[in-house]
Amino acid sequence: MSRQRRDPRAERGIRTVESRARPRLDVARRESPAASGRLRRDPWREWAASLVDETYRKRYDRSQRQMSREDAARFLAARSDIEATAISPGQPALHVVEEPAFLIFAVIEATGGRLSRFDRQVFGAARLLADADAGGGAVVAITTGEIDGLGEAGADRMLALPSANGGQARAAALRHAVETLLPRHVIFAEDGDSADLARRLSVALGDDLMSGVEHLTARQAVRPIRNGAREIGLAPPRLMTIGEDRVKPYAAAPCEARPIDASDFEAGADPAILSSEIIPGDPASLALSETDFVVSAGNGVSDIAAFRELAAAMKGTPGASRVVCDAGLMPRSAQVGASGTVLAADCYFALGISGAPQHLQGIAGCEHVIAVNTDLHAAMIERAGLAIVQDAQLVMPALLALLRERGA
Amino acid sequence: MRTLVLLSDARHPVSGRPHLSRLETQAIGLAASLDPAARGLHAGSGEDAVRAGLGHGLAGLDVIETTGEADPLPALVGFLADALGGADAPELILAGRRGEGGFETGLVPYLVAERLGLPIVADAVAIRAGEMPGTLVVDQAMAKGARRRVTVRLPAVVTVHPLSPLPRPFAYGPMRRGRIRRHSPAAEQADLPAVAKMAGHGTVAGRAEDTGGTTVGPVDVVPADERPHRARPKLMRTSGTAAGGANLHVGPDPTEAARLILDYLEANGIRRYGKAPE
Repeated sequence: MSRQRRDPRAERGIRTVESRARPRLDVARRESPAASGRLRRDPWREWAASLVDETYRKRYDRSQRQMSREDAARFLAARSDIEATAISPGQPALHVVEEPAFLIFAVIEATGGRLSRFDRQVFGAARLLADADAGGGAVVAITTGEIDGLGEAGADRMLALPSANGGQARAAALRHAVETLLPRHVIFAEDGDSADLARRLSVALGDDLMSGVEHLTARQAVRPIRNGAREIGLAPPRLMTIGEDRVKPYAAAPCEARPIDASDFEAGADPAILSSEIIPGDPASLALSETDFVVSAGNGVSDIAAFRELAAAMKGTPGASRVVCDAGLMPRSAQVGASGTVLAADCYFALGISGAPQHLQGIAGCEHVIAVNTDLHAAMIERAGLAIVQDAQLVMPALLALLRERGA
Repeated sequence: MRTLVLLSDARHPVSGRPHLSRLETQAIGLAASLDPAARGLHAGSGEDAVRAGLGHGLAGLDVIETTGEADPLPALVGFLADALGGADAPELILAGRRGEGGFETGLVPYLVAERLGLPIVADAVAIRAGEMPGTLVVDQAMAKGARRRVTVRLPAVVTVHPLSPLPRPFAYGPMRRGRIRRHSPAAEQADLPAVAKMAGHGTVAGRAEDTGGTTVGPVDVVPADERPHRARPKLMRTSGTAAGGANLHVGPDPTEAARLILDYLEANGIRRYGKAPE
């Protein structure tokens, strides 16, 4: 047995870089990929890709997400010398599973036709199990209607079950789907109707349910028992509900979300439910932690009466920064931030708030932020999805006038 | 409306002592608002944990004495089937959406409902009697402060959501005055098939044999898999898109700014404000 002889002169020759003066060597050059098999990251390229253009100052998008397709397209437009797929090397632009080895159901709520944080985490858990080991599994999104962004969230297939009146009828339709398509796992969110549906399905199938999973890998699922004093870890069972903020959402190449024909799965009605109606929450009386849209006032707002009128007209829940609450202009229960309420809202409208770190902690979960502030360099302006450098006292009456005009 | 509240054997998370679960205290509050003679039902080795329920508004307590780690489900189903067939049949069975102190799967109310052939409504924050006799109106909590108002035919099982109103404060006298009835599980189970036939519920009759068996209910573990709980950090709520750049407007006219804000809200599906002028 003999090893292949190294030829140091030939290696040196390969590493030699053309130059005019004296011979130079490229010491970092590698012939084969790293022994670990992982692709090398190029941090410079990632930095260059996250540079946000069109401002005079250098600004970086430091959210450290892998690129979604839309973002990649945006960066591609901004920096023409970078390929969209080059930002996450080795990953295809679209993840396609033609012949799935097995199926994983991700049952999502998507209230109002939009995916919530928790829904994305359910997809994250499903993708984790589908891509484990050899991979080849397909994630099937179980929905009740058309929803945007299922592919980006990680769904290979989409099964729209007919909307049913009552949990019992929904569980019957889902049970039929489970018995027809035989998924390896069915994953729910431990929240609201999903949690209800998971338990109904568990009882209907006579199958155990692992509820409120806190830690999930391909090998085991862990959940607390006995008032949080003990825990159990098992190989992931068929039915699971995952706890909120426990599994990372999927953030790699978008999947295709191909629809599955759902005409076989008809929904009945629950005979015990005589009537059912949905009463939307009144934003004015909702608690800050429960609402989906907060209109908030900071030190740049002096006319609190106009602000309250604006919040009511915009159908948002009024909030405030610490300064305003300290001054007694708004109640303490309206305070947003680390020492007030940490929001779970979708949208946050900040009027005259510069964005202290403690305040930004309170809105970390908000997807959309609108900021109106006189200071171009305020942290809130940098955080916002729509930033307007203007006096909030001038924008408020203009907004009120426009709302009246549109409402009329 | 005769009401029964299912009570679990909760432990205080810090001291480990038996205590009444907060969610079940709220369930007792809802029950007491409907029925001044509401009773509690507990299957377990003792009533230390649940006696405080008498001080929060229960008129009496039924305790089925089972041995330490036994599955409470057969005992509960047996007792309830017996009660539903009797003269003073409960019309409403309330429970927390998840019992505490055991495996905490939240399956017990669903299994009870299935075995007894009753409908179940989850996550109630308010309940009241319906306009028609024999019906109940339940407000279910949904995301973003919405409520779903469901009318259901009685008898039914309803689970209670943590957002339901605060219970009555604890009072010592009523706890001392409350009557506790103790039952043995074996006698209750023997009656089950007869009651099931009388009630005419196919589910119960079909499942009667395995209800008497040993392994039913939310048991998904063997004790060897248990270990001390390790607290794991939750995901950080990082900020969303830092879009900047294209969406930064310096010193626009206030009217223009207002138009931008409303357009942004409507484009992202947050709110819809009438029709935009053509």
